[in-house]
Amino acid sequence: MTRVLRTELRRSSAGALFLVLLVAGVGLLYSAPDVWAYGWMPVAMAERQYLILLWPLALAAGAWQSRREQRSNVAELFASTSRPLPQRVAPTLAVMAVAAASGYLVVAATTVPWIAHSARYLPTAVFAVVAVGALSLVAAAWLGMAIGRLVPSPATAPVVAVAGIAVLLILTPPVLGGRTWLAAMLSPTRGIGLFSDFRTVSGRVSAAQALWLAGVAVTGTVLLAAGKRLTRVAALIPLLLGAGAALAVIPQGSAYVDSPIDRVAQQLVCAEGSPRVCVSRAHAGLLDVVTPRAREALRLLARLPDPPTSAVEDVNTFLDEHVQPYRADTVMFRIEIGGDGRLLNPDSFAMRMLYAGGMSEAPCPDGLDPAVSIAVAHWLMGEEPPAAAAEPDADIHSVWAGLHALPEQAAIDRVAAVRKAALACGDLAEALAGGTA
Amino acid sequence: MRSVSAAETAPTISPWAVQAEGLRVRVGRHLAVDGLDLSLGTGVHGLLGPNGAGKTTLMRALATVVKPADGRLQLLGQPVDGRGNLRLVRRGLGYLPQQFGFYPRFTVREFVEYLAWLKEMPGPAIPDAVQRAIDRVGLTEKADARMKTLSGGMLRRAGIAQAIVNSPEVVLLDEPTVGLDPEQRLDFRTLLRELGVDSCVLVSTHLVEDVVAACTDVILINRGKLVYQGTPDGLVAEGGPDDAGDSPAERGYSALLRRHRAEEVR
Repeated sequence: MTRVLRTELRRSSAGALFLVLLVAGVGLLYSAPDVWAYGWMPVAMAERQYLILLWPLALAAGAWQSRREQRSNVAELFASTSRPLPQRVAPTLAVMAVAAASGYLVVAATTVPWIAHSARYLPTAVFAVVAVGALSLVAAAWLGMAIGRLVPSPATAPVVAVAGIAVLLILTPPVLGGRTWLAAMLSPTRGIGLFSDFRTVSGRVSAAQALWLAGVAVTGTVLLAAGKRLTRVAALIPLLLGAGAALAVIPQGSAYVDSPIDRVAQQLVCAEGSPRVCVSRAHAGLLDVVTPRAREALRLLARLPDPPTSAVEDVNTFLDEHVQPYRADTVMFRIEIGGDGRLLNPDSFAMRMLYAGGMSEAPCPDGLDPAVSIAVAHWLMGEEPPAAAAEPDADIHSVWAGLHALPEQAAIDRVAAVRKAALACGDLAEALAGGTA
Repeated sequence: MRSVSAAETAPTISPWAVQAEGLRVRVGRHLAVDGLDLSLGTGVHGLLGPNGAGKTTLMRALATVVKPADGRLQLLGQPVDGRGNLRLVRRGLGYLPQQFGFYPRFTVREFVEYLAWLKEMPGPAIPDAVQRAIDRVGLTEKADARMKTLSGGMLRRAGIAQAIVNSPEVVLLDEPTVGLDPEQRLDFRTLLRELGVDSCVLVSTHLVEDVVAACTDVILINRGKLVYQGTPDGLVAEGGPDDAGDSPAERGYSALLRRHRAEEVR
């Protein structure tokens, strides 16, 4: 059996499937690294979304593999041998599964050197999301093999590839009567929700997807190994069992949350020493890069009356109710990560923390006056903003020049007024001019 | 026509590896094998007949690839009709189909190994058995060449290697000498004689000379019916100087066929 497995690994379509998945998967992932470079869960979710192409490819590879017997005209010879069909197809099933799963896993593994330096937080849910993706490709390959055996035509592989894409595109909540949970259960590209640094996938959703895909995979194997029409009909049983088990597990209706938040990822991790600087657990790998910049911003803000004494990452998301209050004694900052997995624009990080005198515009529905906000940051940094004729740079420079022309204490009082106005989501320009916020 | 019953002419070694009584096999609506009685034991049996005689259909039925429409067929003592242990029978079979299919990307060794596995040979015994089979057909130097790189004659020899890898009790070779050069045909005859010592070997061929040279028993069928079963010498004795053919055996073959056709017309 070992020798046969080795031979099948070398000579079947398994090698081609592995390479196709690797090339297509890596190509898709690295065409937009900024989508996933900020953590392991985004990597897992991005790869799952790319199943829109990888899944049909595995389906087609399975169908192509099954044509081998017909293409090679070995059916008569093999039919004269004693080994039963289910045993005969087992090595091919095994190597195709290994190729599909390892192709998927290796694509994910290529991101390790890319983001390992910054991505420290590795929740167990990541493994479930990746495992479901790998299982979906195994199911696709096996189902493709079954289809290829039932319809042994050169056109089968390309047709099932196109059909696979069509099925994945069709399995959307609107087509399924608005049942988002059903789309998540049936399609391996669904159930991911919207991307954010603190997104996760519920364990029950992953379990339901795994049960459904296991049903599809077993149906594929039974169809492939079925010699009689009755057995082919019976192949639907595992599919139905998988669907039933998945339905029993997946949260339905209002109980289904499309984009759940990982509270552990949101927990704060703080640097040693003072003043206090904290980032989310999801971004803990960037703490060393953020801390000196955040402390520099806090030092510059210390000139103001009642200055903030700590800097904390803003982990509130638009997917969630605000879990962190916005307070005057804390500078709340966002962490943005570039496609290289590193802090985006680190040189201007401190400057961004000083916008509106260290106040976030996130809680303000209409935002804050950008010219005043940025001009104040430049004044605090002691840097003249670039002079430009057009807005908004012209406005920024104009506001900065006004502040710069004031005596220092007067300027400090104006900036403090801007901070106060920002906390109340008021009019910054009016506060800067000396009016009430 | 001198018609001889199977029981009268079959080799005396028992039990019969192959026993057919009133065997009928259909190819679509056509009755390709029509009421054949045959008993074959250890030895080399040459199966002769013109195109469309039913040779390949008979071979396929004996290889358990097609089901008989009627009659009784026993292989290695087991009925081949769903009542017997077909799996056990197939373990003792070696079959080279007329259209020998193979996986072109496999090497000779890999393909023969794969067939040994399909025949449920014990795993530890497979490597030695494969090497032995490859050596016996003279493909030692090509053992690690891909099947798709082999010439027609080499492919046929690879086909024979897979057929004999499991040391089968019944060896069914359909047109095994197609593509072999004269020297290889001579080697093949030697191989046949060796195989026939322990196994029941049935060789279907158009080449009467191969049968006479290598077989202990000759079976001639026409239109699905048994025309003759006997020794090669008996076949030679059937021919006369006016019969068609370049050799005494071919003349005997032509004579038997001519008489059978005349009988059918009557």
